[in-house]
Amino acid sequence: MKSKTGQKEIRHSYKLTAALSVLAILMTLMVTISARSESAAFGSKDKEVFADQRKRDSVKSVEAFSKVYSVLISPRCVNCHPAGDVPLQGDDSHLHAMLPQRGKEGKGMLTMKCANCHQSENTRGPHTPPGNPNWHLPPADMKMVFEGKSASELAKQLMDPAQNGHKDMKALIAHADDALVLWGWEPGDGRTLPPLSHKEFKEAWITWLKNGAYAPEK
Amino acid sequence: MATTKLKINGKEHAVDVDPSTPLLWVLRDHLNLVGTKYGCGVASCGACVVHLEGEAVRSCVTKVSRAAGKEVVTIEGLSENGDHPLQQAWEQVDVPQCGYCQSGQIMSAAVLLREIPNPTDEEIDLAMTGNICRCGTYLRIRKAIHLAAEIQNEIK
Amino acid sequence: MTLVKTTLNRRSFLRAALLAGGGMVLSFSWMAGCKPSGRKALEMPEEWFELNSYIKIGENGVISLSSPNPEFGQNVKTSMPMILAEELDVDWDNVVVEQADFLPDRFKNQFTGGSQAIRSNWTPLRTAGATARQMLILAAAKQWNVPASEITTEPGMLLHRASGKKAGYGEFASVAAQIPIPEEVELKKVTDFSIIGTSKKNVDIKNIVNGNPLFTMDYKVDGMLTAMIVHPPAFGLQFKSMDDSEAKTMPGIKSIFTIDTLTGDIDQNFFDTTSFTKLAVVVGNSTWEVMQAKKALKIAWEEEPERVFRRSASWMQGSEIIKATFPPGLESTDDHLAKMAEFTKKPGQILRRDGDPEGAFKKASKIIERTYTAPFLAHNTMEPVNCFAHVTAEKAELYGPLQAPEYINATLSQRLGLPKDKIHIKLARMGGGFGLRAYGHHLIEAAVISQQVKAPVKLVYTREDEMTAGLYRPAYSATYRAALDENNQLIAFHVKGGGIPEMPVAPHRFPAGAIDNYLAEGWSITSNITTGIFRAPRSNFMACAEQSFLDELAAEMGKDPIDFRLELLERAKTAPVGENNDYQADRYAGVLRLARDKSNWNETKQGIHRGVSAYFCHNSYVAEVVDLVMKNGTPKVEKVVAAIDCGIVVNKDAAVNMAEGAIVDGIGNALFGEMPFKDGAPQKNNFPSYRMIRANEAPKEIDVHFVGSETDPTGMGEPPFAPVFAAVANALYKATGTRFYNQPFINGLTTG
Repeated sequence: MKSKTGQKEIRHSYKLTAALSVLAILMTLMVTISARSESAAFGSKDKEVFADQRKRDSVKSVEAFSKVYSVLISPRCVNCHPAGDVPLQGDDSHLHAMLPQRGKEGKGMLTMKCANCHQSENTRGPHTPPGNPNWHLPPADMKMVFEGKSASELAKQLMDPAQNGHKDMKALIAHADDALVLWGWEPGDGRTLPPLSHKEFKEAWITWLKNGAYAPEK
Repeated sequence: MATTKLKINGKEHAVDVDPSTPLLWVLRDHLNLVGTKYGCGVASCGACVVHLEGEAVRSCVTKVSRAAGKEVVTIEGLSENGDHPLQQAWEQVDVPQCGYCQSGQIMSAAVLLREIPNPTDEEIDLAMTGNICRCGTYLRIRKAIHLAAEIQNEIK
Repeated sequence: MTLVKTTLNRRSFLRAALLAGGGMVLSFSWMAGCKPSGRKALEMPEEWFELNSYIKIGENGVISLSSPNPEFGQNVKTSMPMILAEELDVDWDNVVVEQADFLPDRFKNQFTGGSQAIRSNWTPLRTAGATARQMLILAAAKQWNVPASEITTEPGMLLHRASGKKAGYGEFASVAAQIPIPEEVELKKVTDFSIIGTSKKNVDIKNIVNGNPLFTMDYKVDGMLTAMIVHPPAFGLQFKSMDDSEAKTMPGIKSIFTIDTLTGDIDQNFFDTTSFTKLAVVVGNSTWEVMQAKKALKIAWEEEPERVFRRSASWMQGSEIIKATFPPGLESTDDHLAKMAEFTKKPGQILRRDGDPEGAFKKASKIIERTYTAPFLAHNTMEPVNCFAHVTAEKAELYGPLQAPEYINATLSQRLGLPKDKIHIKLARMGGGFGLRAYGHHLIEAAVISQQVKAPVKLVYTREDEMTAGLYRPAYSATYRAALDENNQLIAFHVKGGGIPEMPVAPHRFPAGAIDNYLAEGWSITSNITTGIFRAPRSNFMACAEQSFLDELAAEMGKDPIDFRLELLERAKTAPVGENNDYQADRYAGVLRLARDKSNWNETKQGIHRGVSAYFCHNSYVAEVVDLVMKNGTPKVEKVVAAIDCGIVVNKDAAVNMAEGAIVDGIGNALFGEMPFKDGAPQKNNFPSYRMIRANEAPKEIDVHFVGSETDPTGMGEPPFAPVFAAVANALYKATGTRFYNQPFINGLTTG
């Protein structure tokens, strides 16, 4: 999602971010190791240790992502990250009745602009429009599709600023507390919650990111 | 009870209702504007569409507080003399059967025509799929919107 | 020209006119809205002179016509006055139309349904128009002192050619109103019609596009309260107890109580079907306040024992009273389907047998057997159930959406303890009927509530209340079997059909009469889920099953589906089998040929999949060809060609509108319509779950062709509805390679 802070966005490539993360980890390791031993020196045994650590972090990262993924493809998230230009609806993620269209800015079109019906709060009663002040889909030039993506595809997409709404690491971390994202956990009558609590999700999200934001194999 | 100040069809009103009362029921029960209809109460059928600052909102799920101080236009206020291009076209094509959904249809179509003065069939479908007609007058609605576009062009 | 005897009784008209004059104060003006559109406003006369129940003429020549039948979008409010105006010989621009109240002394059969309004009123309306015209002629003859036979009319004008005298109708209206009703009048030749057969705009068009008050929902009187009911959430449950402690303190609430609508000792008629006889009621100042209080009611339900009541055996007035029951229990769709499957295998009640069908099936080289099902359907009229009532100790005034006022009148009288002539029913324009509004339970409920609170009351159902309140189109199943001999010739035909709770087979319809060995059987399963007439009752299912089967049979026999039907019809015409064949083969074949011709049936276009179907019901013949495309795996009907034989078409464009609407409605119900049940509870209660056809799913084009004849007009509301289901199924087969046996078809499609 594009943010309109007026501030310049710093773009990182995925690889640079990953490299920086690895470097950060290595440096942490080095500090840790040197803290433990009186006089540390980088021998071949140490390299093994580093490689092991990296492997453990990537495992941890990927494990965390599988939790993240379960939330992102649950109806409360995937319904507004559709593959097509019509949002999805309901716990069975069917095409939103009456087929409102994404529109250029993701805010709907013509007679069915999202905010016409989706107001700043959930409307009370079953089958009524849920609400949030920022209700919209990703814009047409940055669709951020979740629907139909494998865990691997989604992880890579999320880390790619060209596909994730130009988010850097900081913005990605902050996104877990975005107001519209939070809506997913207070969706109104008759809508099931995501499979994890927001707290668990946020934890997994940050764990995934901070441990290298590795994409799973599949 | 709180007093909400409304501006409906250019006229000011002050209504004494619970601010969470849907605009639909304020219009129908308190202001005697019964052209806007109740069909489902859950924003699914479009019979309750009015213009709020020009946008097509479903008054059955719109609290009257949302409309406070803003311009609201209902079917009764779409034109001075019942001669909006859509109303003229609706007559010429003789669109309605039972007529119950038609206010909502016209109000939705009015937004379409404002934004796309010469819509294609596809654009009409995109805009009008939110309005259910149980009697099945969809083909005539499409035809009337095309005709209204022509009438509108001639006026300009 | 035709001479008809008039049977109009002047005295009773005047009496009734006085009655009507003393009725309710309307909060909106009928007259103002009912001017013909596009014309300058007509000036209302100082005085109206009533020539008969239907026709009033002002001294200034303006004509006021009463449309007797209730209006629900079929536009009889325009076409019935057109018939009057034709024979009266007036300028349509000079006509205003009034909806008549329910006035049984004045009008016979103010019933809307069965596509019968025009058909049964054709001659009475023509007679009324011609009679009034004749009275004007007699009045002029008297005044001008010339023989009446020398006087002619031109629209709105009386002329005596010989002397050059002429006058507008208005000049003679007051005199004409005194003339005794002639015993015989001449009707016009069909070829002389100048109004009938043209297209006249909906008389309410201005009211509709301007948002003027039109429906019962829009009706208000001073001091009126709003009432809502709560009915059990499932069939087979009844009210047990209620805690209204929270609800009654809520703003705007006047009272909360329960009502018993139809107690056991009332003789019910066919249209008194009542799903739930004990209801919780909330009465208050405004709709929203009452809706909120309704939600705050805490009601306990219990299982309802078997309900026993007395009702008419059939819809015919005066039919015998029989005992009827609703069984106890909480029913589910799964059980229904299993039960229907069971009954499909058992022998049914034999409805017709020609030749030796059993023997023929034994000898057959090939037997084709197919079973079709369709679910309960909700009517989903756009205007939800509602009704106005004001009941006092002396009288009752009702205003509501109602198709069958005669029927409910009798019940109201019993229930309220008021004589029938103290009950006045005004007929509102209905936001849709489809058969639902023939049932008058909402009038009983509103009246009982008004009686209780001693105030005028508007009863309003929410969409959820209505969708779960029953009176559904029944669930059905039909099995067809055909026997082919070694030469692939059709030698026997067998249909066994049944439903919950009614048997849908019309045994004397095509193809009975076209096949030597024919067997029709039927069965039914009782249920406590209430059902009622739904646009083209029984035909709305049987047409689909039959016409789908004939299609499959034709394919099996290597024949074109239209040719196959025409062959059978040829047999029915030249050497019909059996008796009482309930169709005219010529006319049936006529619509098939016309549809074939107008659709360029033999033309194949890339990506267009075609299905054909034809049916005769409610006295009219219709054949339809559906062109279907697949868009990203989703079926879409692009075009429909309809050929209709309904005799004389009264209002041409309105008839086309009806056919279009019926076709769109049929496509929608065939693809999406479904009301499933679980433990007695309807599983859908509003449009998000009950899918309705929308603008993007309607065909791009519908071409309607009328056979055009001088036969007296027959119905247009239902005949074009019944065939389209099978036309869609047959086109879907061409598109997907799969046959669709179970409605709604969406369940058999993987996308859409």
